[in-house]
Amino acid sequence: MEVVRVEGLGKTYPGGTKALEGVSFSIDKGQIFCLLGRNGAGKTTLLRILATQLKPTAGRAFVLGHDVLQDPKAIRPHIAVVPQEARPQMLLSPYDHILYFCMIRGQSRGAARERTRKVMDDLGLWEHRDKLASDLSGGLRQRLIIAMALVADPEVLFLDEPTIGLDPLGRRSVWHMLRELTRKGATILLTTHYLDEAEMLADDLLIVDKGRTAFHGTVEEAKGDTGVGMRVIVEHPAGNGTGPPEVLEPRSAEEILAIVERGLREKRKVTFKPASLEEAFIKIVGGSIEVEDT
Amino acid sequence: MKSRIREALYIGLFDALPLLRDPMLLVVISLFSFLPVIFIFVFATAPGAAVQSLVGAIILTFAFTGLFASQSVYFNKQWFRFQDMLVASRVSPASYAVGLSVSGLVVALPGVLVALVLVLLSAPVPAIGVLVALATALLLWIGLVFVGFAIGATTKNARRANSIPQVLSIALGFLPPVYYPLSTLDRYPVAQAFAMLIPTTHAAQLAKYYFGLIDIPVWQVALGWAYLLGFT
Repeated sequence: MEVVRVEGLGKTYPGGTKALEGVSFSIDKGQIFCLLGRNGAGKTTLLRILATQLKPTAGRAFVLGHDVLQDPKAIRPHIAVVPQEARPQMLLSPYDHILYFCMIRGQSRGAARERTRKVMDDLGLWEHRDKLASDLSGGLRQRLIIAMALVADPEVLFLDEPTIGLDPLGRRSVWHMLRELTRKGATILLTTHYLDEAEMLADDLLIVDKGRTAFHGTVEEAKGDTGVGMRVIVEHPAGNGTGPPEVLEPRSAEEILAIVERGLREKRKVTFKPASLEEAFIKIVGGSIEVEDT
Repeated sequence: MKSRIREALYIGLFDALPLLRDPMLLVVISLFSFLPVIFIFVFATAPGAAVQSLVGAIILTFAFTGLFASQSVYFNKQWFRFQDMLVASRVSPASYAVGLSVSGLVVALPGVLVALVLVLLSAPVPAIGVLVALATALLLWIGLVFVGFAIGATTKNARRANSIPQVLSIALGFLPPVYYPLSTLDRYPVAQAFAMLIPTTHAAQLAKYYFGLIDIPVWQVALGWAYLLGFT
């Protein structure tokens, strides 16, 4: 089932800056859809348009079947947004944040208390309920912000760089939580700068560059389309080597086997480096980086 | 409509919650505009000066509450980013704006009530007088809420979000004849003319008049209302 559909979307700001141009894609229910791109590529603009916070100037976008421009009020009760660099009110507890967000979104005090307990339990925040937000770690603060977005049990969740500034454990905890949410049927669109994050989470991927679609497909397709494959690093024999090690890109299992056999025969250390999305990303947007550098 | 009022109320309470949870800070904030009254009470020799300044302080509490909505607007938009979270939900933009506007009133109300009791003990006036005086304060509040929203929505940096309302509070509150009578400026006609351009002057004049503390000509009463309505 299609949850988000975008057709030729464009956004030109009043000053004439083109933030988006001709972007099209769709997202199915239960997917994690990752938006990648450099700073200023148009990721946040696209997310804000889909979250009904910004009006497009060209094309159309539909969320849960409703046009973001014609019918935003029909969309809003079913979505939630975690903005970039959102932070909790440091002088309040996690419990206060979530309880009040429940009540602001229309729940009675009793229902709000129950929902607060459930959301806090689900996200591992209950034991921290009475601490001040200022005393929470970065990961817990981010979880709190996500919990505030989840109070309305949204069908579609928009997250703008949700793990920025978190340590590796904090990031993993957020990833785990997002996977759990999709298992329960939520659809997630997230923007990120972290390519390992996209590699871990993305069911589908859109790379935008200067407001235009630079790539759309899966992580594996991104690697395949750009010819980024596994690399094998063959070092010189100990005490007998000069210069950099050999870096090979085998195309078949036979080639891999041959490299391993040669390494064993010549007593050379062989290291396998899987293809990474980062390399594919650099190949995809690399052209524009070179243009800017000259 | 009921659900919209509820949304606004909870947004206001949530915004005011850090202060409501910290009684010491609440006392300091709610007494902010009443501090000059203590000095006037101790040092002023003119009869009734302290009560007039107390009325001025009530007026200014409403004025500052409206003006400092700018900080709520700025911080919810640029710092916490709760605005983005709430706009992309069933919460109406109007509820959000009303909620942020009333949050300051929630905090200021205890101080206003104490001051009102003190004024009424010093100068008993009929209920209608109190209501009309509070209406002038409310009009001023509404006008300055708009000013506060304009500042908060257009400011891009936290330093300015804090400093602009502080500077304006001096220009609107401590310089014009709010704590002291307008007649004090009789010797300085230019300053008096300038004072008449400031909305807090008119609100304070009207409130003092309705509390029976000063007598002003009818044209000045009419001018005061016209100015406040126009300003709002």
